Amino acid sequence: MTEWKSMDIDLLVVGGGPAGMAAAVEARQAGLQVLLVDQRERLGGAIYCQPDPGCAPVAMSARHRARWQALSREFAASGAAVEFHTSFAGLDSEGLALLERRASAGEAGRVLPVRARAVVLAVGAVERIAPLPGWELPGVMSAGGLQMMMKRRGAVPVGRTLLAGSGPLLLAVASQMVALGQPPVAIIERARPFGQPAELLKLLATPGYLREALAILARLHKARVPVLHATQLTSIRLAAGGGLEVECRGQGDERRFSVDRVALHDGIRPNDFGLPGGAATGGPVLSRAGDCREALGAVAAIEDGKRAGREAARMLGLKLPAMSLQPVKRERRAQAVLARLFSPALTTPPADLPDETVICRCENRTAGDLRGLLAGHDGLSAREVKLNGRFAMGSCQGRFCADATVDFLRRCGAGAEALEASHLTGRRWPVRPVGIATLLAEGGAAADPASVIRIEEE
Amino acid sequence: MSASFFFWRGEKLEFQPGQTVALALEAAGQRDFGPSATGLRQRYFCGIGACQGCLVRIDDTVVEACLRPVEAGIRVEPLVAGPSVDTDGGRHD
Repeated sequence: MTEWKSMDIDLLVVGGGPAGMAAAVEARQAGLQVLLVDQRERLGGAIYCQPDPGCAPVAMSARHRARWQALSREFAASGAAVEFHTSFAGLDSEGLALLERRASAGEAGRVLPVRARAVVLAVGAVERIAPLPGWELPGVMSAGGLQMMMKRRGAVPVGRTLLAGSGPLLLAVASQMVALGQPPVAIIERARPFGQPAELLKLLATPGYLREALAILARLHKARVPVLHATQLTSIRLAAGGGLEVECRGQGDERRFSVDRVALHDGIRPNDFGLPGGAATGGPVLSRAGDCREALGAVAAIEDGKRAGREAARMLGLKLPAMSLQPVKRERRAQAVLARLFSPALTTPPADLPDETVICRCENRTAGDLRGLLAGHDGLSAREVKLNGRFAMGSCQGRFCADATVDFLRRCGAGAEALEASHLTGRRWPVRPVGIATLLAEGGAAADPASVIRIEEE
Repeated sequence: MSASFFFWRGEKLEFQPGQTVALALEAAGQRDFGPSATGLRQRYFCGIGACQGCLVRIDDTVVEACLRPVEAGIRVEPLVAGPSVDTDGGRHD
């Protein structure tokens, strides 16, 4: 393993997806020493996740593939150092980046402090999942999670799969499933994306998106995949035989499906939970790039990564022109059109969520618990929701419940209108869970007595 | 290619090179990864190490099954001890 402590790092890039790779390429071209770390063992992030050895890649549009090939070529030629199985735990009080070298069979995990002059955080997006009874069951996963399986294995997991929620990703995943010879049972979409012809026409401004959308729709049509619009799931239950019983409701009618697997998705949002922001005194120049700054997808992530890499070089005193924000703006406009097309025709009012609906999976806190917390309060503070209610208090650090908790409380009124997800999740390290044994491991951060004290203070 | 094995709750399972623990369990038909710390079930969900829903124990270390590649001979155990098959709708509280 590289001895990071002795490395003179100009720029630490966290995340080996398109934004992080592009930032590293740009910073190397400016002459900076770059270390890129990724929690997994390969580059590409979620969007460009490469197949396991011996597995075939999933279908990808030609422009998408060309973009990845160009980026991966540039990165390989850039001379940026890479450490895999390494995640970013946060910045300590002295501005040192704490990197967790993750455990493997031959080696215990440990946390190493690294001094970098600049840090670009490019940790991507997470999916939004609207809670419904049964979303926490085995066999239910996010659509992105299903897509990761397909990208890694080059195959759809066996059995009948239902896709549900909202957004263009459901269509993209369904299309990949068709291409792999195993279409989904149906797509249950909350919105009515073809109900707004004027918005549809705006896609003409981004012909790339339009072409891709038409190709996907043609493939789904040809495979006769049922797409139910303005329809949403109301419950998922374990069936006696081991499958899942799913109920959904459209406007007026109800339907049931017996499936093996449900993949849920309600859009994406930045994975900015707990990330440090602003400049700590004496700490590195800090910035975010790609989906963790603004979730706009891979095209924008590459452009935004280049911008962040160039900006890091400029902040470190190199005389270079700033980069144009035009490409990111174009992507922002396209994503706004998609967001309007997929604005939900249906949402579940909090009153319709049964008490037993799990809102926070990590701590097993339900809609009933949240109602109990609300009873008798004129205005819940984020602290009360978190410390008394234990919402956003678990090991995912609010990534999969903070939005849903806030949405529920806001729509219940009760003086929670000004509550934001970030009030629940805060800004502190570790930005992802780190084992105590890892923190205290020999040769790690805790070998420096000062850092032991800092860890205990947190 | 000769088959490689790891252990899930003491049971010998096959895996493919590069496969994560989560996908190897999935391929073996195991999608219930045992009880969670709060009475629900551990299972594969987000696939990107964010949701913590697939945490399992390897060599007494808690790891995300979706991030950790399988290595031959490793012993994978549930996050907390408990029944492997869920029979009452997933809730144990």
